[in-house]
Amino acid sequence: MTGRQLIVLAVALGGLIILSGSVFTVDEREYAILFQFGEIRRADFEPGLHLKTPFVQNVRRFERRILTLDNQPERFLTREQKNVIVDFYAKWRIKDVGAFYRATQGQESIALSRLSDIIRKGLRSEFGKRTIEEAVSGERAQIMQMISLSANKQVDDLGIEVVDVRVQRIDLPGNVSESVYNRMRSERQEVAAEFRAEGAEAAERIRAEADRQREVVLANAYNQAEQTRGVGDAESTEIYAQAFDRNREFYSFYRSLEVYRNAISDSGDMLILQPEGELFQYFNPPSPR
Amino acid sequence: MAWNEPGKDQDPWSGGPKKGDGPPDLDEIWKQFRQRFGRGGGKDGGAGPGGPGMGQRGVLLIVIAAAAVWGFSGFYTVDDAERAVILQFGKYHDTEGPGLHWRIPSPIQSVELVNVDSIRNVSDRATMLTQDENIVDVDIATQYKVGSPEDFLFKIREPDRTLHQALRSAVREVVGKADMDFILTEGRSEVEARTREILQEAVDSYSTGLLVTGVNLRDAQPPEQVQDAFADAIRAREDHQRLINEAQAYSNDVLPKARGGAARLVAEAEAYRERVVARAEGQASRFSALLTEYERAPQVTRKRLYLDAMETVLANSSKVIVDDEAGNQMLYLPLDQLIRQRSGLKTDVGGSSSKSGSDSSGTSGGDTSGSRIQDLRSRRRN
Repeated sequence: MTGRQLIVLAVALGGLIILSGSVFTVDEREYAILFQFGEIRRADFEPGLHLKTPFVQNVRRFERRILTLDNQPERFLTREQKNVIVDFYAKWRIKDVGAFYRATQGQESIALSRLSDIIRKGLRSEFGKRTIEEAVSGERAQIMQMISLSANKQVDDLGIEVVDVRVQRIDLPGNVSESVYNRMRSERQEVAAEFRAEGAEAAERIRAEADRQREVVLANAYNQAEQTRGVGDAESTEIYAQAFDRNREFYSFYRSLEVYRNAISDSGDMLILQPEGELFQYFNPPSPR
Repeated sequence: MAWNEPGKDQDPWSGGPKKGDGPPDLDEIWKQFRQRFGRGGGKDGGAGPGGPGMGQRGVLLIVIAAAAVWGFSGFYTVDDAERAVILQFGKYHDTEGPGLHWRIPSPIQSVELVNVDSIRNVSDRATMLTQDENIVDVDIATQYKVGSPEDFLFKIREPDRTLHQALRSAVREVVGKADMDFILTEGRSEVEARTREILQEAVDSYSTGLLVTGVNLRDAQPPEQVQDAFADAIRAREDHQRLINEAQAYSNDVLPKARGGAARLVAEAEAYRERVVARAEGQASRFSALLTEYERAPQVTRKRLYLDAMETVLANSSKVIVDDEAGNQMLYLPLDQLIRQRSGLKTDVGGSSSKSGSDSSGTSGGDTSGSRIQDLRSRRRN
């Protein structure tokens, strides 16, 4: 009994070991390559459960998902001989895992380094053809597309494909940034000065117009005032004339008396008189006439 | 032979006529099991329960217990915000929603939970170039969630980090295509919309399974180094307005004042006119009245008027009366002295005027009555 049980147990265990050596799973996220004594037997497994020959064959797994190449920022020269600092990333994946293994022994870093070289070369060429403005703005998307396409062609032998290449940062080197800041500052100063000058100009116009209107108003008023005064003078003259004309002689007499009264009645006025005339009629002692 | 052939009424597990009462006895079952399958095995098939049987039963218990545990491990709960992705032997099998579920436990089936409802957040803040080769400082954030848990798990390694990279690229692409003034002022919502578009396109092209729910431009400013200049430009705009306002205030002040001044001029002229006319009328009527009287008695009136006037004149002025008939002597008349004396005396309270007598020396003397009159007149004048 025990012996048989032991044999059964042993057989069962052996069966299990053999079983575990003859099946393997491939995850959705993986590629699998079946090797036999180091040689690739098959490389096109779909996810799921698969069979293999135990002990003789072994399985190695590789990434099926999209991977990222993310480099350090680097300098590139534009057509205007200006430097820009560019930080890009690339999305890539293993397309033909057999070819990939043959080219890189399954090391992603080898693929990354190749890919990085190819892309950098492409960027150098593309940036070198363009000005900063074109690279940053107008043709940014085109550059990225072109590099994706051309890189793709060049990495075919690695068994990988380039899904996308994108530029993250295009920045100016430090000292150039400084000069950009200076330019921005002076631009703003210009704008500020223009604003202030325009404000002053408009203000001056308003003031001048106000002054002008004031002058006009006052001049018109002065004009009218003078006319009124003139009318007054004329009216009064007429009134005087009408009255005084009734007896011109008496008017002369009367008015002259008033003049004497007003003009010569201050102690500062010195009269040197001879006692004759109507006034001094009775002044001298009566002469025996 | 059928199991419940009439008459037989046997079932093979019992090995004999059915007892029909009570739950099946485990020992019995096992014994019969062994009897049935052990018979073909060997000579020991008939051995009763004892040491070896106990051991086997224990093993069986362990196996059953293990199976139960293993089966039990197939239960799993999915939170309301999650989805469960089931893989069978590594291959995608199904996606389950919230609740309690069971699947064939591993290694056959495996579960991976993905949170699809919670909003994830990622942002980027940096200086970047604009189309007109200026530099702006931009702070942008995006909210997103998992739209397809399968893609999220299977298609790309590090989907969250990928979205972050794509955000950085997208915002710079959008800013690079716009002018600085636009970005800083009225273009903010367009920057957000365009960035969202490009970002979603990118993450879709990588099948990240992520869904962008919002892009938010938190801040867009000129870089710190030039903020002073920018602030000054804003102040300049305000100054511009202020200068205009001040000028307007001046204008609003000057014009009414000018109108006021004008009105005053006109009114004064009007007043002058009235005054002058009234004065003329007054004088004219005074003269007319006087004339009427004069014409009634001209000689007398004439004389009277003349003498009144002379009285006033002579009373107030300084005089030297020279009698020529006394002979053609040379007269010494220090006129300027006399005038000075008169003017000086005029300021005194008891200022006196002098009347020279008829002698030819021309001295000045005091005359109380004359000075009194002078006093009265000077007071009145002053």
